[in-house]
Amino acid sequence: MTPTAPELLHGCVAALSVPPAREEMGAFFAGTVAVVALLEVFAAQECATGSAARVWENAALRDILPDAAEVGDGDYSLDALDRANAELRRRLIRLHAAAEATGDTALDRRILALYREMAARRLLHLPTAG
Amino acid sequence: MTADGRSGPVDGETLDLGDALAVYLSNFWGAPILIENLARIPGGASRETYSFDAVKAGGERRGLILRRDPTGSLIDTDRTTEFLAYQSFQGLAPVPEPIVLEPECGPLQRPFFIMSRVDGGTASSPFAPDPYAPHAEALGRELFAILGRIAGADPLGMPISGAIAAPALEDCWRRELDYWEAVILRDERHPQPIVRAALRRLRRNPPPPAQKLSVVHGDYRSGNFLHDGRGRILAILDWEMAHLGDPLEDLAWCLDPLWSHFDETRAAGSLPVAEAIDVWKAESGLTVDPKAFAWWRLFSSVKGQGIWTTSAKTFAEGGHDLVLAFSGLYTARRHDQIIADRLERLVATEGWA
Repeated sequence: MTPTAPELLHGCVAALSVPPAREEMGAFFAGTVAVVALLEVFAAQECATGSAARVWENAALRDILPDAAEVGDGDYSLDALDRANAELRRRLIRLHAAAEATGDTALDRRILALYREMAARRLLHLPTAG
Repeated sequence: MTADGRSGPVDGETLDLGDALAVYLSNFWGAPILIENLARIPGGASRETYSFDAVKAGGERRGLILRRDPTGSLIDTDRTTEFLAYQSFQGLAPVPEPIVLEPECGPLQRPFFIMSRVDGGTASSPFAPDPYAPHAEALGRELFAILGRIAGADPLGMPISGAIAAPALEDCWRRELDYWEAVILRDERHPQPIVRAALRRLRRNPPPPAQKLSVVHGDYRSGNFLHDGRGRILAILDWEMAHLGDPLEDLAWCLDPLWSHFDETRAAGSLPVAEAIDVWKAESGLTVDPKAFAWWRLFSSVKGQGIWTTSAKTFAEGGHDLVLAFSGLYTARRHDQIIADRLERLVATEGWA
């Protein structure tokens, strides 16, 4: 799993909580502060759109997987959505490998198109300067 | 205690890095050395990197770089490999001069090596838009000519070839795929269906044997070289993933869309892609088989996902380098998109099974 928003923010706090060594005070510390700011932007993007991306992906996976309707999204927290997503993704991996093994081209193509959409919805965006 | 009997603080004890460096280099050169302008510099997460001046009693000053093993690393890398790579390419490619390799923890708490500092250059962020303008074409010609020279060089007799395994030509792809597949399966914290599908497809559609065995830099890309801002490359850096293998591996990695500065028509933000490949071919004397190159291009993105998977896991387990978080998040998601796009295209138009 990519780092979660809480993991990102805890990491930023940890990085800024320890006074830098003398030799880390210049460009290195400036670089650290820049990465902290960047990670906070990513955490904000995850909080703003992460639930929607996971709800969409989980619904799409339930739609393509047989007998997956019982894998629910819980209380719609990111944790609950990720737990459901992990189970659904495990099933998708098995389904895709089976489609390849049996030569089910139509299902293979459908899953490949789904991957493209899944990846696009999870993208994060670098802030533009200015 | 180090192999030559010198002692130093162990990890967890306070270390004055400048003092420790002065003691170490004074012993190494057999003359008193002062350390000035010691500063950690930002960079990759695989090594801590410091710039400093070593000053001899007569005032002679030398700019040096310390590369020290970190407590948590982005990738499993071998400092010996990087050091030997710098030795191997002296005179063949612009690289810093390696000075000393210290495998023991004693002197500076962790193993390290020291090399010459190349002044007057800058390493551009691989995510900056158009960082090489207005000299992008000149820089691109040099970037791919140097890579061509690395690819065309005979590794036999080079210092690095004695330290790393030489696969058979027909096994180059399999060795790399086995390695990165194991990394992904070992380190993934969440099921990754996109890269899993790519792994299966790569194994079912193998490339032809490598046309020759080359030193593969392993991370040759925008951001891993110093340039003077006027189209000249001053140094190729970050050789810690160097190995022997198929020369197309480096070319494919350098052309990965992740390093394109958001313009996939240009190679690493420099030349048009076809021109970059032509420069590489002319300099290396090698060919680019389309079937083989398609395999190595997909593999490059899978390898990237392997690196980012490890970085995410290391960060989550308490790695303190925030570069690990950036790599494990932003780059991982971009590579998922790149892999998904490429997979769909290979199956739809290239006849991949």
